Amino acid sequence: MNDKTLLTIDVSHGTTHDGPGMRTTVFVKGCSLRCRWCQNPESIGARNEPWWDARACIGCLSCRDACPTGALSFTDKGLSINRSVCRACLSCCEACPAEALSPEAQRYTMDALLREVLRDRTYYEQFGGGVTCSGGEPLLQYEFLAEFFERLHDAGVTTALDTCGCAPLKNLEAMLPVTDYLLYDMKIFDPDAHRAFTGQDNALILSNLLHAADSMRRRGFPKKLWIRTPLIWEATATPENIRAIGRFIGENLMDVLERWELCAFNGACVAKYDKLGLHWDYAGRGTMSRAQIEPLRLAALENVSEDKLLVSGMIRER
Amino acid sequence: MSDVQLTFIPKFEQSERIKTLEARNRELGTNGMRQYGTYGDHRCWLNIGPFPRMDDLPSRRQGYRMSSEQWGEDYEFMLDNTEAHIYPCETIVGEIYWELGLLRPCGSSGWKQAPNADEIAEKVRLSTELGGHPTAYGHTCPDVEIVLKEGYDHILSRIRRSLKKYTDLKNERRAHYLRGLEHVCLGCIRYIERYAALAERLAAETDDAAERARFEKIAACCRNIAHAAPATFYEAVQTIQFAILFDRAVGHGNGYGRMDLYLYDFYRRDMDAGRLTRREAREYIAEMYMKLRGQFFSFGGRLEDGSDATNEMSYVALEAYDLIGDYNNLGVMWHSDIDPDYYAYACDVLARHGESIPVLINWDIMYDSLLRCGVPESEAWKVVYSGCQWYCLPGQEWCGHDTSLINVVKAMDRALDRAAADGVSDFETLYRYYEEELHVTMRAFQEAEAAIDRVRGESQPEMYTSMISHGPIERGLDMTAPRGVDNQNTSLNIFGIPNVADSFTAINRLVFEQKKYTLAEVVAACRSNWENNEIMRQRFLSQPKYGNGLDEADNMYVRVCDSMQEIAEGYVNQRGGQPMRPSLFAFMSHLESRDKIGATPDGRHAGDVLAHGINPQAGASKKGLIPMANSAASADMRKFQGGSIQVDIQPRFFDGKENRYAYIRDFSSAFFKNGGMQINLHILDLKKLEDAMEHPEKPEYQDLVVRITGYCARFITMSREYQQEFVSRINYSSMN
Repeated sequence: MNDKTLLTIDVSHGTTHDGPGMRTTVFVKGCSLRCRWCQNPESIGARNEPWWDARACIGCLSCRDACPTGALSFTDKGLSINRSVCRACLSCCEACPAEALSPEAQRYTMDALLREVLRDRTYYEQFGGGVTCSGGEPLLQYEFLAEFFERLHDAGVTTALDTCGCAPLKNLEAMLPVTDYLLYDMKIFDPDAHRAFTGQDNALILSNLLHAADSMRRRGFPKKLWIRTPLIWEATATPENIRAIGRFIGENLMDVLERWELCAFNGACVAKYDKLGLHWDYAGRGTMSRAQIEPLRLAALENVSEDKLLVSGMIRER
Repeated sequence: MSDVQLTFIPKFEQSERIKTLEARNRELGTNGMRQYGTYGDHRCWLNIGPFPRMDDLPSRRQGYRMSSEQWGEDYEFMLDNTEAHIYPCETIVGEIYWELGLLRPCGSSGWKQAPNADEIAEKVRLSTELGGHPTAYGHTCPDVEIVLKEGYDHILSRIRRSLKKYTDLKNERRAHYLRGLEHVCLGCIRYIERYAALAERLAAETDDAAERARFEKIAACCRNIAHAAPATFYEAVQTIQFAILFDRAVGHGNGYGRMDLYLYDFYRRDMDAGRLTRREAREYIAEMYMKLRGQFFSFGGRLEDGSDATNEMSYVALEAYDLIGDYNNLGVMWHSDIDPDYYAYACDVLARHGESIPVLINWDIMYDSLLRCGVPESEAWKVVYSGCQWYCLPGQEWCGHDTSLINVVKAMDRALDRAAADGVSDFETLYRYYEEELHVTMRAFQEAEAAIDRVRGESQPEMYTSMISHGPIERGLDMTAPRGVDNQNTSLNIFGIPNVADSFTAINRLVFEQKKYTLAEVVAACRSNWENNEIMRQRFLSQPKYGNGLDEADNMYVRVCDSMQEIAEGYVNQRGGQPMRPSLFAFMSHLESRDKIGATPDGRHAGDVLAHGINPQAGASKKGLIPMANSAASADMRKFQGGSIQVDIQPRFFDGKENRYAYIRDFSSAFFKNGGMQINLHILDLKKLEDAMEHPEKPEYQDLVVRITGYCARFITMSREYQQEFVSRINYSSMN
């Protein structure tokens, strides 16, 4: 028996951009950074709170009546959750007949999670894929995930860890031997800017990254390294920043780097902010155009060759 | 046909001749000349006005008799009075202008002419009321190879020999049938001869050398194949064209088997002799496709020794579709050893045209399914995908594939009523009631079908189809009559399985486990169409649903599938006492029956469309394609005669993928390795997305999944501005 559990915001099947092939991506809850552009805002807090989908709500008020602390009220704009009063008991989600109020996260046992991801096994084999853990920050739940990855290896499934790197080294150390693909975020190179946009500077992130690279050289794991840089308006998407990251990669990682991926901004997550009743600084910001990305791509190419650079995501023609 | 309008990237350049033929073909479609049956060009004919000699039709002159001999006379008369026409540029000739069903009662309602029609009608009514619709026809598959190998003279001599035998033996019933078959065969021979005569006349009349050569070619071909087996590839294609024309002239189509196997020897011989080029071969097939519009052929599969059956004809036959991009209903039969290049090409065709051509089917499952029914290996390997969603053993099977139906929702409704009245307090007892009610449905179905079967061979024979099958001539029996052919299981189309499974999952949880509601409350709520019970409905709606790869819901689905199969197999039909064989599909029934089916405990309103075959109920599948495919592969499909998933994706799904075909190839291969049976894949047009933005409430949009970058989202759940963004987005990787 194994009583460890994992808090996940989503188990997404058939993903194709979180590592090679077709994958299942397990998004864990809880994050060590507070990126202003966060695409998964429901993953940030460690506490599993309710969130509300206006489109599914039938206005039956069952949730309000079920709340023991009176945190819920209906206004002109719909349901309002007073999060300073909410104790995250989730009675409201239980009471909601329509799944309009639901917990941000689901708790999985090891066996249940393995069972769910291994159902896709034939697809991993056919597409050369596997399982990815993303977040949130997976390293915060490394004990569960290290065993999870080990069990996946036992089952012959390859693993990928998608991390921001901001966690104690020992957490990362526990994961490296069972990780095939390390997808490592490098968002902003300047430490002050990094702190301004994410709440933390990047010293630990960079030292962990160098440690992982060293592990690849000396011990042969993880097997592959992908650096990922989200392209965010004004924050990461400047030629100076891309150039600085590229220089770091060029100086420290070229021998172990398989791919550097520039992931173009998309605004799909605005609906999630609506569900949480939160304002998002990037609401209404469109996707980037080809012309806007081109200088970033050229800046990246100063240090990294074309065959290792990939620009992904949604891009406008003009 | 989907409403896709993708930019079609042609792989082969059309010759001037094909361009002209295609232009005419399009014109026939738009100017009203080509008439269609209810469901598109599955049934079609050219309208040149009403049949000119209606009053002279034998059954009008003599008075209608429920008689295969008179059926044959009418058929012969129809062919004899069909004028030959040869249109510009064509080398493959022959058209349908009338269907026998328009001239005399035949097809699935033929029994209505029987002397005991009232008695049958009462049995049909009773069965229908209980959820079992027993009227069926078509979608079998004759063996076109019989006419390709023997020719009509030889077939005629077999008919006459058999006729003499039964006449001498004073078996009037069989002799009567064979006299009808003789009429059919003679009508076909004369029809082809008229084409030869016309071509000869046109050749003599023209001064244009090229035209003369074309007419002479048609004339020589028709002179030969009116009597003998075809000698060349071209003649073989023309023979198939005539055979299918004769077959579907009764008013419905069938499957026509493994054309790549049938034509390969002709192709090889002509290629080796330098008489034929691959391009010419492709064009002959394309010409035939343009005439046929939508009859089923399948390619690939295995040979008797288990090796891959794919050959050069398998390519040519798909290339012909690729050339014109305008044909319905081709199937490629995947198996675990299929030529990877061929399967990649099939997926490439599908990806570029986006219109579910070819349909992808798992040959290994069809083969195992036949073995499971007791068909020996020496015959079972000939199995073919014969259309819509069924398999068939060419020329050896008549199962009434089409339209017979069991609606399991009706059995569930009765079980719920009884269980509520009896105060049933556990799920297993409820489920036992359900199985008892399935027996009630099956008994009524069996009795009604048997009543039809007793008159089927005389009231709705399939005489041309029988003529090119194995058994009817020698036995003097129509293939629809008992023992006319060897395999005569009753094919049952099972309808409503996902709805019943999801209803039971919700009831098990909310009534028996959580005790939130009583069975009586569930029955009352459904009967009142959830009126004033929206909270309760939402609760039933939000229970685990089939189509999300969830064990609980999928296990219930498998249980409901297996119950149906095990119970059905226990009932035998009047045609040689062969067991009923379910397929998990319901052609259009999910739309047509919705008005007659009340609300269901899966949260569905009365009047809402039911689940289509084994596809999840609209709106129920929320976790994307892979979990849906896993659910669909959870039942053991070898127990069923068919079951397909409908995959509607839109072009942006493929963003970032260098090769669309590779995605389709890998997805379908994995689905098949998991035991899935059939995939119908459409690539949807963006216009549909725009409509979905305006009408997100439409059920058909509930499952519309789009790929954002690495993940998928249900389109209607995205914010409006983002939907707009999505619709206008392009893919960066296309820069590379």
